[in-house]
Amino acid sequence: MDRDLLRQCLTYHGESLFNKLKCEQTENPDFQAVVSDLCKATCERSEERKRGCTNCKSDGQDSPLVEQFIARKADILFCPAWKTATHQEEEHEQEEDAAEPYAIMPPVELFMAVSFEERRAMLYRDLEKGDIVVGKINNIREYGFFLTLLCTAGGLKRDIEDLELSALCHIREIPSTGSHDDPLSYYQIGDFIRAAVKDIDRYQEKITVSLLQPSLSPTLEHIKLGVFPREELPIHYSRSVCAAADSTETYECILKSCHGYHNPSVVEYLLEKVGVSDTHPPSMMRGLQSKLFQEEDFASAIRKRQSASWALKCVRAGVDHFKHGRHVEAMNEYNKALDIDTNNVEALVARGALYANKGSILKAITDFELALESCPDHRNAKKYLCQTLVERGKQLEEQEKLVTAEGLYRRALSLDDLNPDAQEALNKITDTIQVSIRLREEALAKEQEKATSSQISAEKLRKILKEEKRMKKKRKRSASSSSSSTTSSRNSSPSSSNSSRRRSKKKKKRRRRSERGSKRNRRISSKESRRSEGKSEKDRREEEEEVEWYPAPPNTSATFLNQKGGPRFGERDEEEVVGKAAEDKRICQLYSLSAASEDEESDSSRREKKGRDREESRRNSLSRSPEREERGSRSSDRRDESSERGKQGNGKDQRGSDSKRRSSSDENRQRKASCSSAEAEYSRKSNFNPEYLGISGSAESRMRHDSSQRNSFDGGRYENRVRQDIPVVEEAKGEKDRKGNVENSSSSRSAGNRKKSEGAVNHNKQSSLTSVPGGSAKKDLPSNLLDIFNQIAKFEKEKGVGPK
Amino acid sequence: MEGPSFSLPVTRIRPLWLAPGRRGSAGDAESDRELKTHFRVCRFIMETGVKLGMRSVPVATACVLYHRFFERVKLQAYEPYLVAMSCVYLAGKVEEQHTRTRDIINVSHRYFNSGSAPLECDKEFWDLRDSVVQCELLILRQLNFQVSFEHPHKYLLHYLLSVKSLVNRHAWSRTPIAETSWALLRDCYHGALCISHTPQHIAVATLHLALNSYGVELPVGEKEWWQVLCVDVTKADIDSVISDLLQLYDMEAKCI
Repeated sequence: MDRDLLRQCLTYHGESLFNKLKCEQTENPDFQAVVSDLCKATCERSEERKRGCTNCKSDGQDSPLVEQFIARKADILFCPAWKTATHQEEEHEQEEDAAEPYAIMPPVELFMAVSFEERRAMLYRDLEKGDIVVGKINNIREYGFFLTLLCTAGGLKRDIEDLELSALCHIREIPSTGSHDDPLSYYQIGDFIRAAVKDIDRYQEKITVSLLQPSLSPTLEHIKLGVFPREELPIHYSRSVCAAADSTETYECILKSCHGYHNPSVVEYLLEKVGVSDTHPPSMMRGLQSKLFQEEDFASAIRKRQSASWALKCVRAGVDHFKHGRHVEAMNEYNKALDIDTNNVEALVARGALYANKGSILKAITDFELALESCPDHRNAKKYLCQTLVERGKQLEEQEKLVTAEGLYRRALSLDDLNPDAQEALNKITDTIQVSIRLREEALAKEQEKATSSQISAEKLRKILKEEKRMKKKRKRSASSSSSSTTSSRNSSPSSSNSSRRRSKKKKKRRRRSERGSKRNRRISSKESRRSEGKSEKDRREEEEEVEWYPAPPNTSATFLNQKGGPRFGERDEEEVVGKAAEDKRICQLYSLSAASEDEESDSSRREKKGRDREESRRNSLSRSPEREERGSRSSDRRDESSERGKQGNGKDQRGSDSKRRSSSDENRQRKASCSSAEAEYSRKSNFNPEYLGISGSAESRMRHDSSQRNSFDGGRYENRVRQDIPVVEEAKGEKDRKGNVENSSSSRSAGNRKKSEGAVNHNKQSSLTSVPGGSAKKDLPSNLLDIFNQIAKFEKEKGVGPK
Repeated sequence: MEGPSFSLPVTRIRPLWLAPGRRGSAGDAESDRELKTHFRVCRFIMETGVKLGMRSVPVATACVLYHRFFERVKLQAYEPYLVAMSCVYLAGKVEEQHTRTRDIINVSHRYFNSGSAPLECDKEFWDLRDSVVQCELLILRQLNFQVSFEHPHKYLLHYLLSVKSLVNRHAWSRTPIAETSWALLRDCYHGALCISHTPQHIAVATLHLALNSYGVELPVGEKEWWQVLCVDVTKADIDSVISDLLQLYDMEAKCI
């Protein structure tokens, strides 16, 4: 309890209040602490009263009710925390008069007609050093000038004009502009002067003022001292002059005539000025002490919780949609959830997962990051972000952005330092970076040698392609996306030779499978398309921004559906949750695999297993790089030979490939090649995603479907062709550098792409000679290649629609 | 003043509010109950206002709307808390501090079911919302669309500044007169005194009580400070406001 305040109150109210206080506040320990002290105060007061010094008006008139009230509320009234206002000096009127935010009133004592002596005493009591006074020069002497004080400015507003106060401004207190000038020469009798109070002699009633800026109190520092024109006289002074002149003017009249009184926000302004909080308003009611209100009862807190729960409902509905494969609806629900509750963690995670599933890895990352921002310990968000980062890193790796990828892996590890994927990928990439640096120069040298031979093979390829075109018209399959289905897992292990090899095996199997189940195919191919999105060249990335854009909920349906295939995330989710510790493969790969194998007949799954085993062993054996390199070179030697074979009828090829499929390790290499070719097509297709998007959904999906089927048949042929393609790769690259002409484009349509993917794959797994140039070519893929690709895409489309 | 006719709620309720201290014995049990109900509902409005982050003036408007509404209709005819919610909503519109019905419903729901989970977005919620909006229209019609009122707040703040100049700055900064008078002003909306006295009188009375509570003495000239601030106010007016106000504090002990 504020002792001084209480004493002041008791002095005013007397003993009856003290008795009531003692009665009401018996249980207040604060009061008990000060009670003896207060006893004295009341005694003094009664003595005073006996002497008749006190103002009698307050006695007797104060109803006991008021005293009762004070006594009851004493704990609130005299609580130190009750005083919230901090003492703040008022702004100078000069700043406010342009737009008077509240009614600036003349001093009340003017209306009250307080006696001269009392006002004079009050002024001497209250005027302080550093205050501002306004006066008129009435006398100039050699040692300074004298002011007749008109009014005060700054905080204190008093009516002093008729108090006959005069103040001295010494010459030392006048700032001099020039060293030789007499500062006094600037001042004339009658000038209005704003000056700071320098000293007050309360006994002799003398005031000295200063024109030096530093003599002002800190809160008034911004006010300029010195001469000012008549128009700048303080408003309260000019109003009081008016009021004094016209006795009919009342306080209320002036108040209502003031511009500031009608300011609609005058209450807020003045509350701030007075220092009362309107958000936690004071109240004498015990039930309304706003500090007792619980934070979670406030509207914003409830709204937040409610939004979260509503949003969570939407998320649940979205997840449900998702599990049933209705991705558009799911996305709509997630977006709705985020509309209701921006930054809802669950919604962000779910949407991010959906994005990731759909291949919009960058968007997924953004969502996960947002989620982690508001909830840094969200387990799923962390896990998903980690996985997505690894995925993105692998994409970047394929784009040869090894350093960036490495950074992403490191980040993934920082999120989850036990993540085996990230760890593995990081280890690999550090190796790869070193290897690639070593190999780069070598590769460049080889590239130049190859340039001549590639020319020839390009010619051959052109012929083959023409032939193929003719043949295709008889068939009703499109080449466009088929191959993509085979490559589903390609991205998953971009850096390591062994994993890509393993994948190639799987791909083959899948290709076979695809003949049977078109539905599955589509699913896989959709995955492919997603893979492909991230994988290709640099400019892909920019494209992605546009292509991958998901429109707002109502519109999502078309584009969304076309791009994406069947459900997979639910599976993914579960898989992730269940056992992700042991996997050294990518999750998505698992999904596609598991999804497929479930549908698969027993023999195929058996085969798959076999393939996996084989792949395992292969991985072990392949880890020795010398062997790999040797093989790579061997394969390039055989290219011409194989290209010849590629010319053969494709029915035979198909058979051949079928027979070959289960056999030797030598054939494995072929398969690898085929795989890469497929990837190439696939990647090319992905390049044209924007274009594809333009096509009506049904057409596209049909095409993809067709293509996957076709691909399964064409597998063998492609295998052969790829070999011959490899030289073409170099050629194509050369073209690119030359800003390749359109003529070539048709012949090298697949070649270019093949080269790209092949380059990437080769580089990563074999470090073969071709790989590095291929990779570098990819990097500086010129924009005119896009034209070529466009043509290819169109061609593919025709093919896809035409035959069969 | 107490109308003997029970058929007219206006004459019955209003005078009782205005002079709760002068109650007789006949039929007072009911009116006393009504007074207490109104007090509780106003408390609800205040508390809701704080939780909604409403400023003092909109809350004051809501209370005035509430009192004026029940000045015209019987308390038994309408659910007072629903009326209060609608008043808060309407006051937000009138005073340009728009409050969303959702927040009002949420806060009210939690007020009545403390610690409960927020409402679901279901039919119950939308029904509540509909009734709030419908009731708002009812209030508007009952008040003949006269929903803007003059409040004492503006006066009080200007008075505060004027009085502040009279007091030594250190004494002023030590004494929480502004807070106390503002609290008193807000509290007076618990009862119908906010519509039975003129705003200036209420402002002067609250300031008077605040100064009185701390024993702050102002210089006296030919006129008292309050005579200057408001020409037509008398000491009796001030005392009547203060006594009505103090009644409310007594009521708090009885009601809550």
